[in-house]
Amino acid sequence: MQVWTKLFAKSPFKPLIKHAEVVLETVEVLEKALKAWEMGDCETMRNYARKVDDLEDFADKIKQEIRDSLSSKLFMPVNRGDILRYLQMQDKIADAAENTAKWLLVRDPNDIPEDIKEEVKSLIMKMSQESIKAAKLVYEAIVQMDRVIESGFGEKEIEREYEIIKEIESVEHKIDELDTKFMEIIFKNSSRLEWGVGMYLLNIAKTLSNISDKAKDAAERIRLMMNK
Amino acid sequence: MIELLSDPWLLITIAVGFFMAWAIGANDAANSMSTAVGAGAITPRQAVLIAGVLEFTGAYLFGKSVTETVRKGIIDVSQINDPNVIVYGSVAALFAASLWLLFASKFGLPVSTTHSIVGGIVGYGIVYAGTSIVNWGRLAQVVASWILSPVFGAVVAFVVIKLISRTILQQKDPIESAKKWVPFWIGITFVIIGSMFYIKVMHEDSMLIAVTKYGIPIGTGAFLISFVLLRRNFKTDDPYLGAESIFKKVQVPISAYLALSHGANDVANAIGPVAAVYTVATMGLAGMEVPVPKWILAMGGLGIAVGVATYGYKVMETVGKKITELTNTRGFSINFSAASVVLIASALGLPISTTHTVVGAVIGVGLARGVKAINKEVVKDIVISWFVTVPVAAIVSGIIFKILMIAG
Repeated sequence: MQVWTKLFAKSPFKPLIKHAEVVLETVEVLEKALKAWEMGDCETMRNYARKVDDLEDFADKIKQEIRDSLSSKLFMPVNRGDILRYLQMQDKIADAAENTAKWLLVRDPNDIPEDIKEEVKSLIMKMSQESIKAAKLVYEAIVQMDRVIESGFGEKEIEREYEIIKEIESVEHKIDELDTKFMEIIFKNSSRLEWGVGMYLLNIAKTLSNISDKAKDAAERIRLMMNK
Repeated sequence: MIELLSDPWLLITIAVGFFMAWAIGANDAANSMSTAVGAGAITPRQAVLIAGVLEFTGAYLFGKSVTETVRKGIIDVSQINDPNVIVYGSVAALFAASLWLLFASKFGLPVSTTHSIVGGIVGYGIVYAGTSIVNWGRLAQVVASWILSPVFGAVVAFVVIKLISRTILQQKDPIESAKKWVPFWIGITFVIIGSMFYIKVMHEDSMLIAVTKYGIPIGTGAFLISFVLLRRNFKTDDPYLGAESIFKKVQVPISAYLALSHGANDVANAIGPVAAVYTVATMGLAGMEVPVPKWILAMGGLGIAVGVATYGYKVMETVGKKITELTNTRGFSINFSAASVVLIASALGLPISTTHTVVGAVIGVGLARGVKAINKEVVKDIVISWFVTVPVAAIVSGIIFKILMIAG
């Protein structure tokens, strides 16, 4: 009698964790691309940027599979809609990373004025490191959500989850500050910059800060999953 | 016995009865053991061994009085004057119930074997003598159990999993809390196992004696032993894995107990009709007081054990591989709830189906947000299959009976 195996449906949490893993990898590879960009190694940068694109595709596929399997026939401890919206946000983190990679592929960064070059590059690298932190925290948050359910919504585990969410929010805040500072530098020097270079740099920063924005949105969704 | 076996109808009934016993073993053995297998407390191989041996033991040693109920409690056999009716009717009821069980197994529905055979007997009874022959009180009990069993199972499982998570899993130090609370749960478990053993397996009815003379002493012993054992040799780093590993061990005796009491109770579904035909073959009439011979009980027990060994193994293997959503605490909560609900129901005189209670308990654990995903559609199919069991078995049995009467 196979009823037991049918009665317990496959939990969406393992695939969600898998998806978060791929998203994290996407952001990590983007950082490698940015490192190559900082060094001026365009060849390596392009290779990594293309890999970011592949990983984003992979994340998309997992997302689609989870969506297909999450039919309304399931009875789950968290709201199905919350899970689907969370998944969408988690996937957008990879999308944001891909957008940065796209800008990297558009042109080579060889005409930034020498006097601001170092500062611009170090700010971008800081932002990318923080983005990885955000993606890692999102991964931790969904692993922790699994634990929250495992413990039958134990208070201790919920508390830990709130801590992770707060950390994500603080990382997002930090990146926002870096982004503002970056914009200030670009506009202060706008008269010396070719418009294309300015736009290129601003967009790299914008798309990078988008990664943590989406991470924050995902964290918000996890908060909703716990309040039922 | 030798001259009895020359009676062709008795032989046929024995064959169909054995087949029914096989179907019970194949179908139901998974009910008592699958939560333990799914939670990884025992391997499929061990489950088959434990279930096979204990189902046989339960059937052989304690199966007698339920058999009497099935033989003459559901319809008023004293209204039947033609011995052939008992013979054809018993064969029809067994055939109908076995067919329905096979069908349900194929679609993975945990239907009650008791309800199947009750339906079969009611079916031929009505075709023969109309509705007046049916013991409607007993049938009403069966209908009530469709609702009571899963509801009680769900409520108790909900409370148990909540209590376990509050007192153990959600504590600051789950291992310390587990050392304190698990002996308590083990103690309660054995109070239930002990009392149930007295009432269900030895077929006594004094709840007071059951609890004071069997339940509490056994439970206290289990409490003390587990308390000492946990203090002495329990080391682990992960608090959740630690708490789980303790419950893992408790799952083994509780599922073993379920197998034993299942054998004791459900063997009657296969051999009750056989016993009825045996009575006719030896005495000529059905209402007579003829003790059910031990070899019929042994045959039923053997049939169940063979069912477990041949088909049950496959079932357990699938369960073992597929259920990853069942932790030991959840498995324990389900088994514990099923066992205690059946006990309390017995004490209150309420009819309860173990199968239905277990399914209810699974849903209760889900409602307590303890299981990550349950398939609602499957739950719907299961509930529908419960409601159709008695009518379908009755209709099929009625048809087979009519054919046998005309042909015979």
